[in-house]
Amino acid sequence: MEMLEVVRKRTGRGLKLSDLLVTVLVSLVLGVVYHFWSSVYNLFSPLFFQADELVYGMWFLAATLVFLLIRKPGVALIAEVAAAHVEILFGSEWGIQLVLYSLLQGLGAELVFAAFRYRKFSGSVAALAGIGAAIGSVIPDFFYGYVQDYEPWLLTAKYAMRAVSSALICGYFAYAVVKAVEATGVTTLLRPVDPKDYAALND
Amino acid sequence: MRKFLTPKRQTWLHRANPAAKLALMILLFLLTLFTHRLDFIFYQAILFTLLLFLFSGYETWKIALLILPFALIFASSAATMILFGKGEQVWWAWGLFRISEESFFRGIHIGLKAVAFAAEGLLFVLTTPSVALFYALMQQAKLPPKYAYSFMASVRLLPMVWEELLVRRNALLIRGVRRPQGLAGLVAQAKLYAVPLLSQSIRRAHRVAVAMEAKAFDGNRPRTYYYRTAYSRYDVLVLLLLVFVAAAAYTLALLYPPFHIADVRYH
Repeated sequence: MEMLEVVRKRTGRGLKLSDLLVTVLVSLVLGVVYHFWSSVYNLFSPLFFQADELVYGMWFLAATLVFLLIRKPGVALIAEVAAAHVEILFGSEWGIQLVLYSLLQGLGAELVFAAFRYRKFSGSVAALAGIGAAIGSVIPDFFYGYVQDYEPWLLTAKYAMRAVSSALICGYFAYAVVKAVEATGVTTLLRPVDPKDYAALND
Repeated sequence: MRKFLTPKRQTWLHRANPAAKLALMILLFLLTLFTHRLDFIFYQAILFTLLLFLFSGYETWKIALLILPFALIFASSAATMILFGKGEQVWWAWGLFRISEESFFRGIHIGLKAVAFAAEGLLFVLTTPSVALFYALMQQAKLPPKYAYSFMASVRLLPMVWEELLVRRNALLIRGVRRPQGLAGLVAQAKLYAVPLLSQSIRRAHRVAVAMEAKAFDGNRPRTYYYRTAYSRYDVLVLLLLVFVAAAAYTLALLYPPFHIADVRYH
């Protein structure tokens, strides 16, 4: 156990530069995916009314995917903000606005992971975090789009579809991708080390 | 694209401190977000678009090109509320569609709000280089350097990921990998690309981070910066400019209201 204490003292509890750099790079890649996802979103629009909400969950993917990869507190929020930042890089008129939205979305996901004390990494917890992010995305809509003044059936249908797509994409899809990435062994570079690994050193 | 987005001349907005400008822009966003008076938002949309022409430092034709999508933004933001919003004075109803006087003007309001947001957003991104923003956030907003340098390093790594994507595509092509039809095919293809790209990105980012840690990029203050940024009188000038424009929009809304609607929300 002394080894554990030594390491704790040296690294501190916060995120290291390597955690941050991996978080931000993966999120920027996802941010580029977000950028092109709007064309998929537009493809869905003509299917039926508000059908585009069915793919909306993609825009919260960074938060859960990166958290499942790195498993450290705070990365979900940073990931979502970093992904939104891509729009500023591309000089989009929505740049700052999306970063402000992403703060709420990332916070929504982060709170769900925190509620499980950052110890659960299952697809279902990620799905809940996706729904948390979706709730974060709805808050500004009340002031921006006056969604409370839609006819009630529309309001329910719109946000129910968003919640379902968030749970599927941010939860189970993200989990499947992370499982596949884990198989390459690369995640051992990043994840916090278990006390039992240190115990093995003392044996 | 980079050449296209190079301003012709430097204005106050370029010379202001990016961190200060970001704070001002966020305040401006909040003002627009909480504006429920249709006449006020009408003049905000017009005046901030005008500001783009006068103060962004770009040629008029470039700005005209950049604001072309504003028409689409207006239409797509307004349509749903016009067709499905609550209201008493019904003009037209057919099936689920129900256009009322209230929902119509609320829709116009949302469309104009989106245009005002877009103009404000463009005003910021057209006058602020990303790197300058991060240096100012470190020096004036006290953002820990490890965050800022992670962002700046990642931006430099992004083109390598793009290159890897092309390599991966060619590799799959030359090996004759065909994706199965349907939804399962889409997921399979997502994995074919996502797994190598993600794992390579993680490895590369980790290697770069170790090198940066060795060079104390994660170090504590006090530290030196390659680009020094500071507050200047231009920050005050930009503050005055934005306050003046917002006040002008409000005064015009009171003096010459085109719609005479003080609050578009449903009661």
